[in-house]
Amino acid sequence: MSSERELLPVASGRRTASAVGALLKPRAATMATAMAALVAGTAIGLTVPPLIGRIVDLVTEGRDPGAITWIVLLLAGAALAEGVLSAVGIAQLAKAGESALAGLRERFMARALRLPLDQVERAGSGDLTSRVTNDVTVIAEAVRQALPAMVRSLLIIGLTLGGLAVLDWRFLLAALIAVPVQLHTVRWYARRATPLYATQRMAVGAQQHDLLGTIDGAQTVRSFRLTADHVARVDTRSRAAVELLLRGIALQTRFYSRLHISEYLGLCAVLIVGYALVRDGSATIGAATAAALYFHGLFGPINIALSLVDDAQAAASGLTRLVGVADLPDTGTSAPLVDETPLPDETPLPDETPLPDETPLLDEASVEVTGVSHGYTPGHPVLHEVSLSLAPGERVALVGASGAGKTTLGKLIAGVHRPVEGSVRVGGVEPEPGKAVALVTQEVHVFAGTLAEDLRLAAPEATDDDLRSALERVGALAWAEELPDGLGTEVGDGGHSLTVAQAQQLAFARLILADPSIVILDEATAEAGSAGARALERAAEAALEGRTALVVAHRLSQAAAADRIVVLSGGRVAEAGRHEDLIAAEGGYAALWSAWSAQRQ
Amino acid sequence: MSLTGRDVLLRSIGRQRRHVVLSSFMIAGHQAGEALVPFVIGVVIDQAVSGGTGRLAFWLGVLGAVYAGLSFNYRFGDRAAERASEQAAHELRLDVTRRVLDHRGGAETGRLPGALVSIATSDAARVGVVNLCVPAALAACAGLLVTAALLLSISLPLGLLVLLGTPPLLWLSHRLGKPLEDRSETEQEHAAAASGVAADLVAGLRVLKGLGAEDAAIAKYGATSRTSLHATIKAVRAEAAYNGMMLALNGAFLALIALVGGRLAAGGDITVGQLISTAGLAQYLLTPLTTFSWVNGEFAQGRASAGRIASVLSSPPAVTPGPMAVPEQVTGKITLRGVGGGPLREVDLDVAPGECLGVVATDPAAATALLACLGRAADPERGTVELDGVPLTDLALEGLRGAVLVSAHDARLFDGTVRENLGPVTETVLAAAGADEVASALPDGLDSVLDERGRSLSGGQRQRVALARALAADPPVLVAHDPTTAVDTVTEARIAEGVRRLRRDRTTILVTTSPALLAATDRVVLLHEGSITAQGAHAALLSDNPIYRTAVLS
Repeated sequence: MSSERELLPVASGRRTASAVGALLKPRAATMATAMAALVAGTAIGLTVPPLIGRIVDLVTEGRDPGAITWIVLLLAGAALAEGVLSAVGIAQLAKAGESALAGLRERFMARALRLPLDQVERAGSGDLTSRVTNDVTVIAEAVRQALPAMVRSLLIIGLTLGGLAVLDWRFLLAALIAVPVQLHTVRWYARRATPLYATQRMAVGAQQHDLLGTIDGAQTVRSFRLTADHVARVDTRSRAAVELLLRGIALQTRFYSRLHISEYLGLCAVLIVGYALVRDGSATIGAATAAALYFHGLFGPINIALSLVDDAQAAASGLTRLVGVADLPDTGTSAPLVDETPLPDETPLPDETPLPDETPLLDEASVEVTGVSHGYTPGHPVLHEVSLSLAPGERVALVGASGAGKTTLGKLIAGVHRPVEGSVRVGGVEPEPGKAVALVTQEVHVFAGTLAEDLRLAAPEATDDDLRSALERVGALAWAEELPDGLGTEVGDGGHSLTVAQAQQLAFARLILADPSIVILDEATAEAGSAGARALERAAEAALEGRTALVVAHRLSQAAAADRIVVLSGGRVAEAGRHEDLIAAEGGYAALWSAWSAQRQ
Repeated sequence: MSLTGRDVLLRSIGRQRRHVVLSSFMIAGHQAGEALVPFVIGVVIDQAVSGGTGRLAFWLGVLGAVYAGLSFNYRFGDRAAERASEQAAHELRLDVTRRVLDHRGGAETGRLPGALVSIATSDAARVGVVNLCVPAALAACAGLLVTAALLLSISLPLGLLVLLGTPPLLWLSHRLGKPLEDRSETEQEHAAAASGVAADLVAGLRVLKGLGAEDAAIAKYGATSRTSLHATIKAVRAEAAYNGMMLALNGAFLALIALVGGRLAAGGDITVGQLISTAGLAQYLLTPLTTFSWVNGEFAQGRASAGRIASVLSSPPAVTPGPMAVPEQVTGKITLRGVGGGPLREVDLDVAPGECLGVVATDPAAATALLACLGRAADPERGTVELDGVPLTDLALEGLRGAVLVSAHDARLFDGTVRENLGPVTETVLAAAGADEVASALPDGLDSVLDERGRSLSGGQRQRVALARALAADPPVLVAHDPTTAVDTVTEARIAEGVRRLRRDRTTILVTTSPALLAATDRVVLLHEGSITAQGAHAALLSDNPIYRTAVLS
């Protein structure tokens, strides 16, 4: 439901540049070697046109053909040296660039995975995902391909212009005639290309997203006879993407056509100057030849450099998004939404309010919720002055209609959000997500990799026996051992696919391995269908053993089995107490229970 | 009848033949122009030696004409080729989508949705690129012919040296480069792993946070990233070495041409301008030859992709349509006789028109199998399913699905507003499914946009919207599977009442173990160990049948 998105921060250009500088600094020596090798290699390569010019001069002067052999040997030597030096230079450049990139992406992921969940949710999960996938890929490709090509092209262009000046300053002047046309063309292109490519990327993204929705829901599409609708939808989206791609191609061909004009103008100028200089005797034919070859040799590098401007721009804007997240301070929860202020560009977020030192250290498995009110949009409170406490080891069921605020209360206790008013204390201190309290929801995800790796995310030190016993307790060992490679089977994206119920069992096994003292289960057994739900309830039972637990229950049997029941209604605690007491009180819960059990008698 | 990759490839080129032919001619013109440029430079230099200003102007004019021609041909030839490529990909994308959504089904068997999407996008694009390859290959031939003609016209021995020397040069560089290339490819695969792991961890962010497993995840990513870095550096080193070698080999070949050409020029056999033309043409010659190897690679990829597309397009259907149209008036009588296979042993069942039947299955797999037979997602191995006395296998598929709607437990919602998902819907339908409450809780009511295929809704909200959609379709026979598992008890009881009232006269089959829903049915059957073992009213079964009691009450 798209209300206002508050995207994750983006760093300024200056901050990005200094972050990149800091990443490259430890690699300064490698960078210097790379540049030295590349400059030397390019310079040696650029001796070829004058050497050929020299052969031309030897021929026109009618000299001994034996002299040509010497020059040819020099040409061969130059080729060899250029090859070796450029290989060394590119490899060193890549080493520096790739290590810096690896450093950046690791820092980015370290921050991204520690971002407060409510901040990620406000930005939309797509924001983070697109930074992790698209931006990182674009930058990696730029470092991998565009960077060396760009560096080499720029070196060739710069040194060639120098070479032209050495031959005769008038050659340089002639060559520069092409520059205004090129500059104008690049500016003309960039103005149109940048927005066009942005819409293009969006259109392609939307098309893929839509296609996945349609294909993933093929069964539903057939059942509801929506085939024509969905084919039309895919057609429209795909056609839109194709048209945008072709507009991009049209723009590109116009761009290169304009560059052809600049090539022609420059080439004519250089040839005319050569002609004139040879005629008045101030240059040899060899020099004119070298100038023409120099200029002809510029076409490739200029085209490469200009065409890479796009990649460079895309990489630069990707970098600002990565650095924006990598620069975020490492915090647990973020401030509540109500008094939110936009994140300033370069100052870090204010630190967490320090925990009061004098708080008496209660048993760490207790939960104390006092006078909590909370809402996601100002003026629309979801919870009103809710107070609730869980003693260590106690199991409390949270009951209420959809929208009563059960999930929100669970998230507050887990530390996902901080309450707008009132306080939540876990073991006497403010909860930090994932620290003491584990939150298991109906959302399941099987991490790509082996089954054992998936489980070890919860407990990196766990032995294979630990993993087996956790699976055993949630009733998953049997099917796990039947997988092609047992615990070593690749699961998740690209691996063996597990059913929803199996994935949820895996989630409970992870919970056992993570071994938190407090657990919040939010409809964690709801999605599996009724028959499957019961097996999952048994798995949940095993996972909750010996822990303080708050269970959001929609099956009243779960509620009846709890030590205590809290009934939420319209964001307030309507009733609380033991099952028997609430039945005896004949309030709302008793009515719910009798309706529920009436269906069963 | 089975389609091969070759068929897909040829059809894809054939559909775009106009663009392909046009672009082939134009790009050939472009390449011929590119070959002429270095030749004309040599001629102009000869003018500097011996010609007059008028001749210079003439040749600069020729150079201008060459440029105008190559630029024009490039601009419109490239566009035509890209159009052919993109349109071919678009049409294949639609072919794949149509096949996947086809009422006969079967294309999804053994393929994950993500894999199918990648076939419809990446593979379709790779097949499309073949439409770029064909003109490029023809143009490279044209470039080659023009170069050969120019070289041989300058000097027979020098021309032969270049023409005969270049292929072995490429062969040599290929041979020397091959091991490096192979190494680079395998290591690039390692390198790609890092981004996959990152995306996967972010996709599971909530799960990681819920467990406090961020540190483990960061450590896992760090290790992958390092492995990836080492692989990348090795790959780049191999690539750099290969490129450096190419540079050295080309340079050495140029030196050889300079040696032979220089001696010929010194002997007066050719002019200096012709020597320069030869050097320029030798450099240009690398373009068509590398184009051939590019085309070769793209073609191989295109063929592999076409094979994958062909296998989707010709995947065996899960069910075949029958010859009979479904009559206008369907009374909604369902009859199962001896239905068996998989978890079903022998199911006999009669559902009267207008009856509201509950089905309780002790084995979830049996429930799924039964639903598949009723909706003809698959046919039973044995036995028949009939609608109004006609076997389902005799009926046309689309009409059948209009008459018998199976709303699966995991029925998907689609991107778009709630209203778009529901189709034409009345207040009564919304209220019956409890979806009125869902709509009023959303910021824009029914016009609220569902992100991420409804994942922004809670499980219970999603189920109620899906149920409303099924009720709004108002089919003569509605089969709903576990429609309210994530809905709270109070709402569930209201929904049971609403569904019953709304579908008073129409056949409704509720496959569920929810007491609230079962209490509202006319009759319940118990599907146990593959057969119907008991039937009766919910209350009666609850008191008389222990298996039923265990299945329904936990």
